[in-house]
Amino acid sequence: MSTSLQYSSLETTSRWKNLPPPPGFSEASSSSKGNISSKAVATPSTTPEAYDQLKDKRAWDLAISPAKSLPMQFFMLYMSGSGVQIFSMGIIFMLLSSPFKNIAGMNEAFASFAPSASKNPKSLSTLTLQKLAYFACNLLTLGVGLWKCRSMGLLPTGTGDWLAFETRGPAPELSLL
Amino acid sequence: MQLHAITLFFLSLWLQPSSALHESDAGVVDWHKSFVGVPNIDTKHTAPTFHEASQQSVLLTATRSNALAALNPLTGSVEWRYVFDPQDNVVTYQKQGSVVASLSGPGGANLRSFNVFNGEMLLEKSLHRPNTGLLIQPNSLGTYIAFGKQTREIYTLTNGRTVNLVNGSDISWTWTAEEQGSQVLYSALSVTEDALYLVGLEASFASYALHVVALSPTSGQVLSSSTLPSSISNGLDDFLVLPNAIVWLEDGVLKHFTLSPSLKGKVKSQKSASFKKLVDVGLSSHGIFMAYQDDTTDQLISITNGELGVTKKFNPSAQSLYTGQIGKDGQPYITCLSWSPNTQAASAEVHSLEPGALVAEYSLPFDANTHGPVIHVAMDLLTDSRARLFLTTTTGAVQIWEGSQHIWTREEGLSELNAVKFVELPERVSVLGEGLSEEGFVERLLRQAKDAKDLPGYIVHFIRRFATGSYESATSSAIVHPSSVSATQIPFRDAFGFRQVLVSSTAYGKVYGIDTGNGEILWSRTLGTGHERGTKIVPLADKMFVLKNVADVDASSPGTGPEIVLLGDSVTEDSTVKNVLLFHLNALTGQDVIQHSKSDGDLQGSSIASKPIDDAYILELEGHKIVVLIDSQFKVHLYPDNAETHRLFSAATASLSAPLRVTSAQGHRRLVGHQFDKKEIVDASDQEKFEYTAFPTWTFSLPEGHDVQAIVAPIRNPVASLGKVLGNRTTLYKYLNPHLLVVLTAPHSTTVLTPTAHCGLYLVDSVKGSIIYEASLPAEGNACNVKATFAENWLVYHYYDDEYQGSGQAKGYKMVTVELYEGKQVDEKTLSSSLSSYSDKMVEVTAYEQSFIYPHAISAITLTSTKFGITSKDIIVANVNGKIQSISRRLLNPRRPIGRKPSSEEQEEQLIQYDPLLPDDPRKVISHNYDVAHVRSITTSPALLESTSLVFAYGLDLFLTRVAPSNTFDVLNESFNKLQLVLTVMGLAAAIFVTRPMVRRKKLREKWYY
Repeated sequence: MSTSLQYSSLETTSRWKNLPPPPGFSEASSSSKGNISSKAVATPSTTPEAYDQLKDKRAWDLAISPAKSLPMQFFMLYMSGSGVQIFSMGIIFMLLSSPFKNIAGMNEAFASFAPSASKNPKSLSTLTLQKLAYFACNLLTLGVGLWKCRSMGLLPTGTGDWLAFETRGPAPELSLL
Repeated sequence: MQLHAITLFFLSLWLQPSSALHESDAGVVDWHKSFVGVPNIDTKHTAPTFHEASQQSVLLTATRSNALAALNPLTGSVEWRYVFDPQDNVVTYQKQGSVVASLSGPGGANLRSFNVFNGEMLLEKSLHRPNTGLLIQPNSLGTYIAFGKQTREIYTLTNGRTVNLVNGSDISWTWTAEEQGSQVLYSALSVTEDALYLVGLEASFASYALHVVALSPTSGQVLSSSTLPSSISNGLDDFLVLPNAIVWLEDGVLKHFTLSPSLKGKVKSQKSASFKKLVDVGLSSHGIFMAYQDDTTDQLISITNGELGVTKKFNPSAQSLYTGQIGKDGQPYITCLSWSPNTQAASAEVHSLEPGALVAEYSLPFDANTHGPVIHVAMDLLTDSRARLFLTTTTGAVQIWEGSQHIWTREEGLSELNAVKFVELPERVSVLGEGLSEEGFVERLLRQAKDAKDLPGYIVHFIRRFATGSYESATSSAIVHPSSVSATQIPFRDAFGFRQVLVSSTAYGKVYGIDTGNGEILWSRTLGTGHERGTKIVPLADKMFVLKNVADVDASSPGTGPEIVLLGDSVTEDSTVKNVLLFHLNALTGQDVIQHSKSDGDLQGSSIASKPIDDAYILELEGHKIVVLIDSQFKVHLYPDNAETHRLFSAATASLSAPLRVTSAQGHRRLVGHQFDKKEIVDASDQEKFEYTAFPTWTFSLPEGHDVQAIVAPIRNPVASLGKVLGNRTTLYKYLNPHLLVVLTAPHSTTVLTPTAHCGLYLVDSVKGSIIYEASLPAEGNACNVKATFAENWLVYHYYDDEYQGSGQAKGYKMVTVELYEGKQVDEKTLSSSLSSYSDKMVEVTAYEQSFIYPHAISAITLTSTKFGITSKDIIVANVNGKIQSISRRLLNPRRPIGRKPSSEEQEEQLIQYDPLLPDDPRKVISHNYDVAHVRSITTSPALLESTSLVFAYGLDLFLTRVAPSNTFDVLNESFNKLQLVLTVMGLAAAIFVTRPMVRRKKLREKWYY
């Protein structure tokens, strides 16, 4: 059984919603003191809107999470030096591969934060803003990785990197020497 | 970055010593053959003679390679040699007792004397300044050495007019002939107790007269002088000076005059016979000489008590040579060596001058096909009937015969190689039984069983090789021991291609195939003179071409191999070129490819051009190699002359061009670019044939009074990279114009030399004639001695700089390195290697250059060459002091930062700070302790290993070695512990074998308990 928090259980559409509360628990257990409680005063946490707000907030958290780890990555890169060694290569590999992995799994990652109203939580159109931010943050990580590659001389940016692929044809004239 | 640089620095420190030659490799990876040169037999004063003193016998000779040498007559080894400087040519030598003295330089400027047995120099004295020396031909004219009673007293005649007595190291007296109205050129000395006679020729009307001066041997006072009533028409050949007499020919009449201090006496003549020539056969000290009467009679004439007498008459055959010697009994002996081209042997007759006459007569099985005719003979009498003969032949071979027994031969012609080519060898052919198409099962089984007989040996060899790791290494010897079964098989290569054949032709008309493994001669062929007498073949310098290399050879057909084409001038006696012969031979065996003439006879050439040729090239078109000759009439001759080559050449004519050296009517040598024109000719067989002629397109204009001195063709090798990648990963694209050549110019010999005379160096595009790079260099004295080499985009030249203005500059030898790159800046490319020469972009070049001080004068310079051109190139130079040195490419990088430490990007390029002085690193002397004298040229050849290049230097000596400019990165290091690796792997395997059942048992037990 998964131990992770299932935000989806909060949703109104959830099938667990219709189950009766356990014995001794009422729907308004927290506010059942006295008669103030009434059906009209609903706790905000349980309303679908409240859930959606919470999910929205969580989704933003996820969207900017790659940017949050950047200072740490900068520090690691600084510590690893500019030499081409196994340690720095590992970090570079992580920096270069994780953005692509993240972006590939973006819809999956944001599916659980989809608003309750959305028909298809895994579609690209849900949570567009957050996804764009997430995309940008991952590009930032990638950029850091590329910057590091460049400083290590691993990016084929100069003409010298493509020299081996250049070819020349024979000269049009022949000379007897 | 920093760390990286530091690692590189330590790595370079660690690598540096390993690039030097290890002591254990000396003599294994290299060989050195020492020569003395072909004996100079032009005059009797330089010709070889035997000399015996204190029970030791040596053979002394002055040579055409400007050396004075002593050979051991028993072994043929060089006892000692003294190699004179090129401008100090040896003109005469004389020996007495344990001393041999020589005069050298213009007019005999320098006197040297040596210990005759060990070559220790006893005396070196300058008698006059070389620039005041008499410049006449022959050089030996007007010089003479005579010994006094003691060997420390040396009388010298120099400049044809000055006599010195050199006693010990001091000049006792000097006598110089006065300038008279009629110039007398003295040419001989004769020392007696009473007087020193100085004999010369006085030019008079239409002929010469003999002039004699008698000097006092002790004081140099003139005792008397007299002009003999004589008329000599022929000059030097017509008179001989004997100890007490002069004999000369006057219109065929033999005359003589007895010398006395007062020079009184009468000229006597002998009218009995008419003579053509007088020859000193080495017995002149006994008053004996040879007079040639006519074609059938030679007379040996002696002078006794002032009277001439015929001692002996000879009736020689076509070619007879005479040599005389004083025997152990004090009696003169003479040997007549008769030789005819038709017989395979020479006959020798030894005569005593006693009435007993003939002492011995025998024949020598002399092989004239291999060595050419004998042109000089010297004799050493061992016993009364046994003579030791020293023969010199036209091909430069020298031989010693004792009686009719051949003792040794030295191929001294190898000291004058004029064309050399490396030829790769094929792989060893493993001879397997050929499977027949119709053989039964049993036969095939038997055949295969027979073929498998070597299998056990192979397995044992494999195991031994595997276990001990005794592989071929980069420093292993390239000597391949032929299997004992087939000793006479064709040569084959070693694992890394260090063994190749050096096909080399000598100026004496002989071709040799030399094994690069050990310097042994694999085969040699004499270039035949055709069937005409009096002509000789002189191979053209550097006109040797590899027509087929080992990859072009069809391996399946037996008897074929790499092929060489060689061009030679057929020169008549009056040294005019009659026609040009082409020799086409198999480089592995020396066999004639065209005519399959007899393998033991002369190599017969086929006449390819009836006029002297201007130049010859090899052209490769669609995989076919064509030898292209352009004669003095600008007519083109092709070889092989068949339809295929004509088709290819005719298709390429329009795009073909050739720069030719043309001598103008004023005697100026110019460089003129030529293109080719084709004209259809219809011959009898109605075949379509073309005739090609070259026509001029451009002329290389030189400053007034300048001449083209030399053309250095570029070294063409594969180009591995099209550019030079800099530290910031931008690229400098190499300027790879395939038509570039280096032109060296010098002031014309007739122009008046001014102090500002300059030598020129140009890089010229040979298609269009445009100058890509030029430099004006100071002349050394008044001669231009610029050495240059060029490959890819890299030019290196060396010259003497005697110009300096004030402080901070110095005279000295400079080496300049120039690299050419496309465009004006980095990353700019013009695709120069595939661009037309007529394009404007072709001259957009940036030259990076730096100049260095090199501490020595050099005589040859070249670059290493490797198979793919990946390995960096080293410069190989031959110093004039007999050392071959390599200079690293890193030192000669023209982009070395000046006056500052290299930046980190420059460090990535391995640039080091500029230092004006190229270090004279003794570890870079690849000839280690050999004295490689007078190197004229160095050639390099790739081995099969990319890292390694073969270097061959030739001049007076031959020297071959291997160099690996970037270290041998493509072979496992010799110190690699193969045994340890094998043992470790085997140990691990054993451990697995032991522990596997244990682990299995443990796993089983675990399953029980859990």
